[in-house]
Amino acid sequence: MPARHTGDHAAARGVAPKRVLILLSEVFADGGIQRFNRTFLAACAQLPLHCDVFSFADTEASARTAPPAPNTTVRVFGRSKLRFTQATAQALLSGGYEYVVIGHVHMLEMVVAAAALRAFQGPQLMLVAHGVEIWTGVRGARRAALRAVRQILCVSEFTKMMIQKQAPELSAERFTIFPNALSDTWVARQHAADLARVEPQPAHTLPERFILSVARLSRQDRAKGILSVIEALASLEDRDLHYVVAGTGDDMDFLRQTVARHGVTDRVHFLGAVTDQQLVTCYRSCMAFVLPSGQEGFGIVFLEAMFFGAPVVAAREKGAVDVVEDGRTGLLVAFGDVVGLKAAIERVLGDASLRHRLVENARTTVTDHGVFTFEAFVARVGRLLATSRDD
Amino acid sequence: MCGILGVHHPFGLLADPADFRKALERLRRRGPDDDGVWSDHLVRLGHKRLAIVDLSPSGHQPMLSADGRYVIVFNGEIYNHGELRAQLDSVNWRGRSDTETLLEAYRAWGPECLARLSGMFAFAIWDRTEHRLFLARDRMGVKPLYYSWQGSRFAFASRPGALSLLNGAQGGDIDLDALRVYLELGYVPAPLSFYRNVRKLNPGHYMTVDRNGPHIVRYWDYRHIAPDESLRHRPEKELVAELDELVRRAVRERLMSDVPLGAFLSGGTDSSLIVAAMKAAGVADPQAFTISFTDRAYDEGPAASRIARHLGVRHVTEVVDVDSLLALLPQFVEEFDEPLADSSAFPTLAVARLARRYVTVALTGDGSDELFGGYHHYALADRLTPFIRWPRPIKRAASSVLACLPSHRAKMLAGALEPATPVGLFRYLRSYGKDFPLLLEDDVLETTASAQSWFEQCAASFARGLTSAEMGMRLDAGLLLPEGYLQKVDVATMTFSLEARCPLTDYRLVEWAMRLPVSYKLRGFETKHILKQVLCQYLPRELVYRPKMGFSMPIARWLRGELKEWGWSLINDTALMSRLPLVKTRVVELFQEHLSGKRDRHPMLWAVLMLLCFVAHHDCRHGIPEIMQPRAA
Repeated sequence: MPARHTGDHAAARGVAPKRVLILLSEVFADGGIQRFNRTFLAACAQLPLHCDVFSFADTEASARTAPPAPNTTVRVFGRSKLRFTQATAQALLSGGYEYVVIGHVHMLEMVVAAAALRAFQGPQLMLVAHGVEIWTGVRGARRAALRAVRQILCVSEFTKMMIQKQAPELSAERFTIFPNALSDTWVARQHAADLARVEPQPAHTLPERFILSVARLSRQDRAKGILSVIEALASLEDRDLHYVVAGTGDDMDFLRQTVARHGVTDRVHFLGAVTDQQLVTCYRSCMAFVLPSGQEGFGIVFLEAMFFGAPVVAAREKGAVDVVEDGRTGLLVAFGDVVGLKAAIERVLGDASLRHRLVENARTTVTDHGVFTFEAFVARVGRLLATSRDD
Repeated sequence: MCGILGVHHPFGLLADPADFRKALERLRRRGPDDDGVWSDHLVRLGHKRLAIVDLSPSGHQPMLSADGRYVIVFNGEIYNHGELRAQLDSVNWRGRSDTETLLEAYRAWGPECLARLSGMFAFAIWDRTEHRLFLARDRMGVKPLYYSWQGSRFAFASRPGALSLLNGAQGGDIDLDALRVYLELGYVPAPLSFYRNVRKLNPGHYMTVDRNGPHIVRYWDYRHIAPDESLRHRPEKELVAELDELVRRAVRERLMSDVPLGAFLSGGTDSSLIVAAMKAAGVADPQAFTISFTDRAYDEGPAASRIARHLGVRHVTEVVDVDSLLALLPQFVEEFDEPLADSSAFPTLAVARLARRYVTVALTGDGSDELFGGYHHYALADRLTPFIRWPRPIKRAASSVLACLPSHRAKMLAGALEPATPVGLFRYLRSYGKDFPLLLEDDVLETTASAQSWFEQCAASFARGLTSAEMGMRLDAGLLLPEGYLQKVDVATMTFSLEARCPLTDYRLVEWAMRLPVSYKLRGFETKHILKQVLCQYLPRELVYRPKMGFSMPIARWLRGELKEWGWSLINDTALMSRLPLVKTRVVELFQEHLSGKRDRHPMLWAVLMLLCFVAHHDCRHGIPEIMQPRAA
């Protein structure tokens, strides 16, 4: 762990753990934001903090799937705005929190208003800015509320840029680039050699040679680039190559229609929702992980692919450029550029030394002391909350 | 302009030579100067030639490469073939034709040669060693290329009518997906064609066919090119100069010809700019052709004359009675072997007929509306977009209030609130029916894909962060332009054996236009802003910024007058109607609503009548297409 932190080491030592209120949209479900939240909580569990977590969308049932760490209490609200607001206001009024982490911009105004009730000795507010939810709409009350936030944690440079564009009055010190990381569970599975829990998922349902995408297939968000991959696949000379899509959503019919139009029905496989074990099998056995998405706030799936040794092809867009370094840890193409995508896939598949190099470079960013490791993430949380694991 | 035709079978089961000849003859208007057939045991290729470059027999096709390995049939022009020859310096040239250049370019570079080509083309090359057929269509789809499968037998042609003849009756069943999209939009987007077994090769794609079957590859795409925001900080003057140079270069390249050459001049921005650029390129005596109408409401003739006078070009005008264009209807139905609901095909046919009396090649201004925002739909899409983001209940309430108002604009707006995305909104703005229910039977509607799915598929590869207007332009450039307008120009000019060239579809111009921020295209209610600025360098402002009448035909009036009887007779032809899965009561209702004058329903009505006309004509004339089996009552 890095030895030096912005917080006052000496003062923190021997003092009661700092109290943090963490307000999250949802924790125990699928999705990029949910995964970030789980990683964040896992990091907090390793730090001398006392965390009260309020999860807006979770229910008692979903929360039972993962018991909280000893230093954490979790309250769930089953999407009740009223109860969530009440509880937040009460918690803030009763005081005692040094930090309040606001996990989603949608609750920003409410929390700022509630915090304002304690005009003196109010807690320091921090906002996590993931991606698309804050790229637009920062005006009026939201913009004013944002000014009350001490630190804005942006998962990517792009997100920071988009906020600054909308609220230029916010100084640069207010922003911290706070990249996502592989959650500890993945790492645990890889390192602890308890691969028995991960590996045995039989791979016989998967084709022999395939490229992989992992994404939510939403009609509202066609920017994942799945359609481009289908089109590129149809263009490839290599007709033994298959395409596997893990993930589910309401856009399956349209995607199937598109697959049929390109005449590749027998080579495209939609797995639907998959378990973590199945996902690991997919990552391990694919020829390349291809997700030329135009709307990725960060793209944790890229980290997963990198971790499990799949070469990555992504789009040169938004948060993805923070994760994938073109030519070093993966290949980037313009979003929607089917011709370029086809060429990139051909390069990765056809050039073994390139593939090897990309995979090796990528691994260094997600293992050991790489920037996207869980350890680095814990250190970032530690720095942020002026404390660290060392304490 | 030429016509190409070919057939391939991995075991040599080719079409009957007599059928092949008959099918080739169907393309005669595309190439009246020469024809040829070449075959080996796996492939038969046919060509109809309209000689433009290298009029000597050395331009004859099908053409073999010097080493005898490759055979080509080619429709179109390669404008930079001189440059390509310079790069292929080891070749021993036998003639001057661009066909030979293309063949040698393919021999040297394979499919990669496409990236070096500047031109309009649809061609097929047979590799006699590898036994592989290679087909390609130009980037923007100026030239058509259709193909079909009958078991393992693959056939391709410049027009679907020739394929139908080649394939016999089996080639002619109507494709229901195509029928649906046609009724929604008035044209059939690629890769669909009106016939079930026939497909169009998409623009910017190539295709190989060999023993392993077909393989289709996109080699060029404009959709992902994002507007370059840094251009906003450049002085407009610089951008105008850049665009001017691009247009001039595109026009200059398209002057390559060994036969006389002219241009269509409608009096609008695009055609005026083309003529101006021709003059600037130093064409000795450019000729411009205009159809002038006796009916003042449609006549752009005087304006075109003033522009021609100002530019100092020879101007040929034909004055016609707008109603006389109706005489072109039989020719329209005969030549358009895929239905097209665009009524501007009539004036295009008329001006092509006029131009052919003087020249063999004509330049046209097609393409700029889609690239530079020439249609009001784009600005409208931008203005309506905030409303589609309203919460659903509010939208529903507003929509029901608007629908009750008597104004048809209010009703149109009510419908525009329905879609949830900008793509859906634009599809709505582009659709013919708007608030009129679809005319197809319910079971067809259930089993076919709507136009929306084609729009969405095209939009899936768009650059991020586009405005609704920019999305609309890209959608039009990918769907409406190639399969609607460019096909119209191709067929209309082909009817009179005239070659049309469209400088504004030059791929460098397209790429540049995609990078240009929308604020240079649309300014308030002004369309094609930057293009008009370029034109202002050649013409006085009052000629550039004069009120435009449009190229529209008085179809609405005709359908209430001269064409009323004809329309009813088509709709009341029970045998004809029974071949199509249309709900007759709705068609009748549509016509009656139009006749009553309550609403102008002419676009949708015209699409239906063109469809009926087409089905009647192509069925009885050739025995094909064999229309769907009569449906059980």
